[in-house]
Amino acid sequence: MRRVDLFAGLALFAFAAFYFWQSLAVTVGFASDTLGPTFFPRLLALGLAILALVVVVRAATNRSDPSAPAPLRHGLLVVLLVLIVAWAVLLPLLGYFIVTPPLLAAVMLLLGLRNLWKLLGTTLGLTLALYLLFGQALNVPLPMGPLGGR
Amino acid sequence: MLEGFAVGAPIALQPVALLWTLFGVVWGILVGALPGITGSIGMALLLPLTFGMDATVALIMLAGVYIGSMYGGSITAILLRVPGTPGAAATTIDGYELHRQGRSGMALGTSLVASTVGGLIGVFILVGLSVPLSKVALAFGPPEYFAIGVFGIALISSFAGKDLVKGAISGILGLVLATIGTDPFSGTPRFTLGSPTLLGGIGVVPGMIGLLAVSEIFDQMAVSVGWERIREKVSTALPRLVELWRLRLAMLLGSGIGALEGMLPGAGGAIAAFLSYNEAKRWSKHPEEFGHGSLEGIAAPEAANNTVTGTALVPLLTFGIPGSNSSAVLLAAMMLHGIQPGPQVFEGSPALVYGLFTGMFVANFMMLAVGFLALRPAIAVVNIQRALLLAGILGIVLVGAYSISNQMFEVWVVLGVGLVGFFMNRFGFNILAMVLGLVLGFMIEANLRRSLLVSLGDPWVFVTRPVCAALLFFALVTFVVPIVRQAQGKRRARAAPAN
Repeated sequence: MRRVDLFAGLALFAFAAFYFWQSLAVTVGFASDTLGPTFFPRLLALGLAILALVVVVRAATNRSDPSAPAPLRHGLLVVLLVLIVAWAVLLPLLGYFIVTPPLLAAVMLLLGLRNLWKLLGTTLGLTLALYLLFGQALNVPLPMGPLGGR
Repeated sequence: MLEGFAVGAPIALQPVALLWTLFGVVWGILVGALPGITGSIGMALLLPLTFGMDATVALIMLAGVYIGSMYGGSITAILLRVPGTPGAAATTIDGYELHRQGRSGMALGTSLVASTVGGLIGVFILVGLSVPLSKVALAFGPPEYFAIGVFGIALISSFAGKDLVKGAISGILGLVLATIGTDPFSGTPRFTLGSPTLLGGIGVVPGMIGLLAVSEIFDQMAVSVGWERIREKVSTALPRLVELWRLRLAMLLGSGIGALEGMLPGAGGAIAAFLSYNEAKRWSKHPEEFGHGSLEGIAAPEAANNTVTGTALVPLLTFGIPGSNSSAVLLAAMMLHGIQPGPQVFEGSPALVYGLFTGMFVANFMMLAVGFLALRPAIAVVNIQRALLLAGILGIVLVGAYSISNQMFEVWVVLGVGLVGFFMNRFGFNILAMVLGLVLGFMIEANLRRSLLVSLGDPWVFVTRPVCAALLFFALVTFVVPIVRQAQGKRRARAAPAN
């Protein structure tokens, strides 16, 4: 946890600096109020920077919580992220009915559902249920891609 | 008050509203029973559904989810010794013991009745307190609202997590997220990195779905190992009325503690449940039964966590400050429908407030009915395939995020924020504080700036107004006390090995 804390503290400090720097780019009109649009963000940046340094110092002097978080299955997380990002990128191009079933099936496969018929049934069932709920009941114009003709 | 109910009740009692209430309660029991999926996640998942709904009906449905989830959490607590929601953790002690003794139905029935009793008491207290308190809150000016917002975030950052510094960082990060977009005061764009899509800012709804639901999905998929399934047969013999009557003291104790704790931000019922378990044991005529299958040991915590569902809405409705994840989702729903939460709601739209009150009464009775009728199906749901469940929730999150504005932008926000939330949670940061920061950010900044406009730039306005000064002082105290206590604990720990 200590190494993670050191890293997290430094990253947060860098973020606070970046955030402060971005606040310099905000144009303040003369019609603004006393504090203007930049005072509060700069206050936050300052607070964040100080607290981030506290985290760094604690980690460097071994005073942070040494307990490690539960083991993470990195591979699974990366594959999952790739799948979801692929879904989001391809949805506007290919449409809901082409991209959704592979994502759902892959996720269930990863989580250990190995029975082929069950996998097919639940994938199609879920895809259809989500479409009926959002696309039909809530009138969300889901992208249909080449299947829709819209 | 009566005129309020006269306009509110008809809205809550129309058939469509009753149907959505029922849906909310059933959904709440389901998500509550599923380990890892808490009531607030279940509520956040339903936010996209509320777009086309009447605001009052939407709030009632979400409150129904909240109410149902507190009972639902006890189902898994009793049958699997895994609390479905944090509030049900105390119920595992005697609940699982009763299940092992083959008295599962007794335990579930006691939990159901205690939950209903607690929930109803909670709504009574909510009505009784929030109406007069809203009159007090109407006298509040911008400095008081600024102070109350800061106080809320300070409380959550310090109470809800273990690490104070990380809690404060989380709260600030939430506030930072809230500053992105067009500054509502001067109309100038801030922190948009030149991108026109960021002009509208990070919405509260996608932010909340990301922080609460997506981070949990990642956690469930990549970290948690899963839960066992119930294999043995479950007895569904319910407790008799006489047996329930004997539990009245435990239920009242639980409700009292739950009522108080519900109004304090941060704890979400778990602390109230444990406190009332201990108190019920202390006051019981049979304290020796506790831990060996005492019905009182279920009645007290279950009454407590459901009383919280009512009283947690007191700060939300009177001051516009959510005290928990779940009430933060309710606040987001109000904002979605263009309602600025706060005391003026009582004057401006009494139909909404009193409709919500009525709906919450109804939701509690629905929970009682559904609980008795659907004991067996509920047990079957706990046995659902984990893969199917997570894939379904992922689908709801993704398609739901798209439906917020029918654009991909919200999907990316939900995913990005969810990933950030996942790692923050993993490394000991406090997601609840971040959610609250995001939700309250605008209100805090706007009232800070408004205060100085009113005072013509004089910063002493925060000190000379007594209510405001007191709130800011308490906010400071909530930070200083844990630090002092921690330092004392360390000194003692260092002194101990020397002895």
